[in-house]
Amino acid sequence: MTLMNCLILSFILFGIGLWGLMRRRHLVGMLISTEIMLNAANMNFIAFAYFSAKDATAGSVFSIFVIAVTACEMAVALAIIVSMYRRRKSLDVEQLRDLHD
Amino acid sequence: MSFSVPQFIIPDLILLALPFLVIGCRLVIRNSKLPWRLACIGLIAVFVLLNLLPLVGGSGNYFISNWRVDDFGILMREVLTLSALLGLLLAKDYFDHGADGKPQMNQIAEFAGTVAFATFGGYIVVSACDLLTFFLGLEMATIPMYILTAWNKKDQMGSEAATKYILMGSVATAFELFGFSYLYGFAGSIHFDAIQNAAAAGTSPLLWIAVLFLFCGIGFKLTLFPFYTWAPDVYEGAPSPVTALLAVTSKATAIAFLVVLVFGPLAPVQEQIAPLIAILAGVTLFVGNLGALKQSRLRRFMAYSSIAQAGYIMVALLGPAEMSKTAIIYYLFLYTVANYLAFFVFGVIGHRREESFDALRGLSKQNVSLAVALAVAMFSLAGIPPLAGFFGKFHLFFSGASTGHYALVVFAVLNNVLALYYYLQVIKSAWADEPEGELTTLRMTKRQKLCIFLLTVGVIFMGILPHLSDNIFAGFSL
Repeated sequence: MTLMNCLILSFILFGIGLWGLMRRRHLVGMLISTEIMLNAANMNFIAFAYFSAKDATAGSVFSIFVIAVTACEMAVALAIIVSMYRRRKSLDVEQLRDLHD
Repeated sequence: MSFSVPQFIIPDLILLALPFLVIGCRLVIRNSKLPWRLACIGLIAVFVLLNLLPLVGGSGNYFISNWRVDDFGILMREVLTLSALLGLLLAKDYFDHGADGKPQMNQIAEFAGTVAFATFGGYIVVSACDLLTFFLGLEMATIPMYILTAWNKKDQMGSEAATKYILMGSVATAFELFGFSYLYGFAGSIHFDAIQNAAAAGTSPLLWIAVLFLFCGIGFKLTLFPFYTWAPDVYEGAPSPVTALLAVTSKATAIAFLVVLVFGPLAPVQEQIAPLIAILAGVTLFVGNLGALKQSRLRRFMAYSSIAQAGYIMVALLGPAEMSKTAIIYYLFLYTVANYLAFFVFGVIGHRREESFDALRGLSKQNVSLAVALAVAMFSLAGIPPLAGFFGKFHLFFSGASTGHYALVVFAVLNNVLALYYYLQVIKSAWADEPEGELTTLRMTKRQKLCIFLLTVGVIFMGILPHLSDNIFAGFSL
């Protein structure tokens, strides 16, 4: 386990999240993909805090805050998705075509 | 142990308490106008108190070492508070009756509270001294915006817009957070001072990756090229007052984020990232202007217009710190006033009609003062002297040119000619085009008349007398 290994792992996770976001056509799947991206950033914080940082507490605390904030964001996202599902009866992003140029 | 509350923190405390008071008041007293009035009075009080705060210069005052109130922060707070107040005044009519072919909205007290929370998020961004506070502030400014976009539950477009917004927004958050984590890894600390010292001591690939990710993240929120594609959809689908808030509050917060970042922790490498800023600014304003040319719906048009305005504001970021901050603050004030003026006029027109260019036809014959107000707003956004927008753009471009980015400034000025064309199209619809068939009557409430009058006077006078208020415009001698 070195710093570099952790950084590469979190970078790969970030890439998986981004790829999933572009490939998935289901709204909940897309939300899970963004969650993976956010957790990749968390891993970065913890890896830096463990291996290199002068101020190690800050990095660990940061990732806890991120988890809380992400929970808020996901709560709002799910509420919005539920309200949309009630109108459309579908969670496919391909059908979000009412607003366009 | 005695706790004394320093006076520079009082407006922040009032604003923080405001949403709880407003929503709590709604719980106790049902079906009254009190919550909305309380919210407006509270925001006016905050604005007045902010104007009374003396500007101290330098690095500002610190509260518990981690909450900085400097001159840029105070002026930025004034912009955000003004925007929230005007947003509430604009929104009131959409709660009284349906508009733009959509049903009316409900729960005004919660709406006002959510707006106040978003504004406080902006306050946090301009007061932050470390990455964690900075991140929390940005999230607190953004998450209420998602909720506001979906406020009209009976409107299908609103929830579609909110879905697109929150998906894009969370990706932006992830990018930013990734950038923050590399910045933390680079400096070993989350404090701005430590990061600045580390960047001054020497750069490393980590810093450049961090900058790249941060600009990607903020590019989404500031609608920079190539991350602007969500903006027209969201601006069109959201309720009109929310569109106005998105165009002003959310954009002002994103700009403040960039200013704090570029002139704070990244100040030592500003020269190296200048080409990146210049390219983003140039392409963004060109794309925004091109997009606005072919629009037929007013809110979509305002979306492209605000994309272009973001590009103009980016030009100022290339200049030296003081000059750049002054130009950006001054322009944001003008942009707020002119943008809200346009949205108030759209609100009156949209009461019985669709908010489109066609609905503007024959406006000058039906209600000349409304047509004048619209023309003033559009000329100011386009930057025609002697209106306020001209001086604002002049300062933005001057700031960019002062560090020798002449090519970008010339490009921006040429683009302004393109912008003039589409702003004139709005005025042409209102003044020259003949209406098709019978026009529905326009009704204005006293509040709308007063707001439109005051904002029109504001746009004209801020152009003629740029030194109207010592506090607001003391920035020129910062």
